[in-house]
Amino acid sequence: MMNKCIITKLLCVIFAFACLSLPVQATAWSQLTGEQLEQQLTEKFAEGNYSKKGADSCLMCHKKNPTVMAIFDGVHGNSSQANSPMAGLQCEACHGPLGKHNKAGKEPMIAFGKESKLPAQTQNSVCLGCHNNPEQMAWHSSSHNLDQVACSDCHSIHTDKDPVMDPLTVNDSCTSCHSQQKSAMNKRSSHPLKWDRMTCVDCHNPHGSLSESALNRNTINDTCYSCHGEKRGPVLWEHAPVTENCANCHNPHGSVNEAMLTYRAPQLCQQCHMDDGHASRVVQQGGTDAFGGGKSCLNCHSQIHGSNHPAGSKLQR
Amino acid sequence: MRFKLNLITLSFLAISSVVTASAMAADFGVNKANTSTVKQDKFQCKRCPKVDGYSGTIGVNAAYINSDDIHSGNAFGTDKDGANASVDADLKYQNDAGYKALFQAHRLGLDNSFAHLTAGKSGLYTVTADYQRLTSYQSGDAFSQLWYKDDLLTPSVHTQTQQLSLQRNQAGLGLSYGRDFYKAYVRYDHEQKTGNISSSIVTPRPVNFGQPVDANTDNLTAGLSLSGEHWVTDLNYFVSQYQNDIGALSLPYLYDVFAATPDNQAHRLSLSGQYQIGRTVISGRLASGKMIQDDALIQMPGNPLQNWDGEVKTLDGKFAVTSLVSNKFRLGGSVDYSKRDNKGSIWEFAQFEVNGITGAFKQNVPLDTERRGLKVNASYRLSSDYRLQAGYDRKEMERSYGDREQTNDNALWAKLNIQALDNLKLKLKATLDNRDGSEYQTNALTSSETNPLLRKYYLADRERTAFEAKFNHTPTSWLSLDLSARYANDDYNQTQIGLTESEDYGYDINLGLQLNQHLSAYAFGGQQWIKSNQAGSQGFSTADWYADIEDDFINLGAGFNYSGLMQNKLSLGGDYLFANSSSDTSVTYNVTAPLGDYYSFNHSLQLHANYALSEEMALKLAYQYERYYDTDYAQIDVDTVPGLTTLGDLNHNYNAHQVMLSFSYQLR
Repeated sequence: MMNKCIITKLLCVIFAFACLSLPVQATAWSQLTGEQLEQQLTEKFAEGNYSKKGADSCLMCHKKNPTVMAIFDGVHGNSSQANSPMAGLQCEACHGPLGKHNKAGKEPMIAFGKESKLPAQTQNSVCLGCHNNPEQMAWHSSSHNLDQVACSDCHSIHTDKDPVMDPLTVNDSCTSCHSQQKSAMNKRSSHPLKWDRMTCVDCHNPHGSLSESALNRNTINDTCYSCHGEKRGPVLWEHAPVTENCANCHNPHGSVNEAMLTYRAPQLCQQCHMDDGHASRVVQQGGTDAFGGGKSCLNCHSQIHGSNHPAGSKLQR
Repeated sequence: MRFKLNLITLSFLAISSVVTASAMAADFGVNKANTSTVKQDKFQCKRCPKVDGYSGTIGVNAAYINSDDIHSGNAFGTDKDGANASVDADLKYQNDAGYKALFQAHRLGLDNSFAHLTAGKSGLYTVTADYQRLTSYQSGDAFSQLWYKDDLLTPSVHTQTQQLSLQRNQAGLGLSYGRDFYKAYVRYDHEQKTGNISSSIVTPRPVNFGQPVDANTDNLTAGLSLSGEHWVTDLNYFVSQYQNDIGALSLPYLYDVFAATPDNQAHRLSLSGQYQIGRTVISGRLASGKMIQDDALIQMPGNPLQNWDGEVKTLDGKFAVTSLVSNKFRLGGSVDYSKRDNKGSIWEFAQFEVNGITGAFKQNVPLDTERRGLKVNASYRLSSDYRLQAGYDRKEMERSYGDREQTNDNALWAKLNIQALDNLKLKLKATLDNRDGSEYQTNALTSSETNPLLRKYYLADRERTAFEAKFNHTPTSWLSLDLSARYANDDYNQTQIGLTESEDYGYDINLGLQLNQHLSAYAFGGQQWIKSNQAGSQGFSTADWYADIEDDFINLGAGFNYSGLMQNKLSLGGDYLFANSSSDTSVTYNVTAPLGDYYSFNHSLQLHANYALSEEMALKLAYQYERYYDTDYAQIDVDTVPGLTTLGDLNHNYNAHQVMLSFSYQLR
């Protein structure tokens, strides 16, 4: 009984505290919908009532906030960098004109990140105002843009080190959404992504590209050739599915089979080769003959990616 | 081009011009700012901290590894058992004049390491220098009686134990120079690749051996990019050269039995650009290239050539338009084209295997492919909580000398994003993909050999149905939960022989916790199943044997980080990962029998403690445990199968440990 009483009182105190604290924390614009907020900010942006002293005006209130001050650890806070926002309109270059924001917080500023009510494309318009270069050329048609991914979903600006710009942490950022690929890199065979020796951005451009799957190179095979130049050829005797698309047989994100093969030999080979000779032979027990043991079909047809031997039409030499 | 490219473009531009003046999404780019009243000379930033000088950390690592299998080197970064040392760095320098340099190094001294340097003056020039060493380890216990020297494999009664591993040493140097509207850049990369990989040679009986690798690749890329307020363009030239220092392999009694990978070159010139009209963005690229290979051919009777004039010309293009028609509606589309035109000449070459049609001679078959693509998509925001996307993708693929000259993939997809509840996001996606094409026929070169009921999986008619759901829930600021599930079914509905059906489904769960200011934790888990059926025929008729392949993968992980011990001087952390991959194949031919064990699992545990000796200096003690096991029924002893010589049983089964002590110094 005593315990119940204490718990009831405790809950009342918590509720009362919550009720009291809400109005204090709430801002003049916290009740606005995303559209209303965007409309108000659009008008404010057009009016262009920038502060008189730039960042000094902002830091009068925000200087004790370590997240705010961390901007000075990175390139966006470095006024000696000619293209940095801190060398221009400073905080207001990204967060918009101050207006009456400093009059007891009467007007909203452009905000970024998960707490922002602004649509991703509106937040991104700030970044794209400066970052108009070939790396972002295909952003507007990219799946990230179509999926309303905000720049700030991946990039951190108020920091000395943006995690997606570090080869040791970029894979973590990508796989925080791409969970299937995160799992796949732990399969029996995969590229060395889980040890951060390769990164997702070695092959893909997260800002989109003019190639399929946002690849950095023109085609899937060109992407593979950038590290596997020996497969490029051309060679005298080509293997059609190899020439057409490496992904016909390999899954670059990982596989339960060796060599990132979608299926293993002999089953993989027998999905295309079923002649009146030995290729159609049923292999019912592994490790007992040359078809199911060692390298299977590749015991003899080891030049599976193509052969440059004049007598290599069977990809054996 | 069969697509109505001009029509699509005009439609987009027409829509764009109509809506440009109407209510558009906000654009808060600084280049659109109304700065008429700004007095920027007053923006002195007296409250801003000074950031000149060096900052960052440098560190040294001393480690001890206990392992009896070089495969653990994949996780530890080196296969060397015992003590090792390495260097880490993450440094930054900047000054008032706008000069800046970044240097990062990771595990320098080990077989897997890198160093990157970027330096320059903002808005003017940048110099980059990169170094990376990558080593992958397959096995240290491969047995072979073929001893390699100077392109000769000499059989011996003495068995050697070979290491199968591949090391890449990469170095690159880049320079870019530019001002407001232009940037010129050039970059050179070199890679040396050495080691031994598992391969096989026909002597005439098959003998597996460790194929030596010693090759160099040089890449050079240079370009010029120009940009304006509404446009950007890039002209790029790329050249790559691959050189193999290993020649054709011979046995003492069988010369040039294994052709070397020939040297090759690739060149590519591309022009790409983007132009923005209001809220419509047009982007495109055109790339022309060629791949050349004219290495000396092995000289033998029946070879009419000294060199083959191997040359493939490539042409790739894409044109994409996307338009934000209104705040709620986006329309997009693209066409793409890719051609591989093999210009290599055709000759007759004597073959050792007698072909039923052509006898002992066979012509080489230079393969051409041509791909055309079309994509159209639309996105509509039904309300602030619901957004619907839908699209149609078409891919046409034409190929020469194939069993099917043309395949057409038509895909319809739709996505629904729901944010109806606070802190909860739901994404649903469905795809229907149908592949058909021209008449399937075994081509003239192989028609008498190939079972007419066979449909090669990458050419066959296929109906693909796929669903995906993603759920994200952040009920409190300290807890986030992500759940995704997916299902896909590939039905090769016209296939009697070959791959007939494949089903792929699975889920992933991720949990993130920030329990208090000092303690964070995570856990994740996922499973995937791929079930496939294929049919074969020994009787060169209808199916008389069937293979059922069941792939199963599970992945679990958890970790924590606790800082704040001993007056914030000590932090502890740990990560655990478990992965199990298995593939079970059972083959039915009169009776059903499993092929054998084919699976792998590993446990990986990492624990670390960081202790701050002072504001600048810190010590880190880390322990890493790797348990790895794999088995493969095809891995058999050297002479288990008469007539076949293998490299021995290369399965792994080990426990490996690493202890690392690191000292780091922070520059301020």
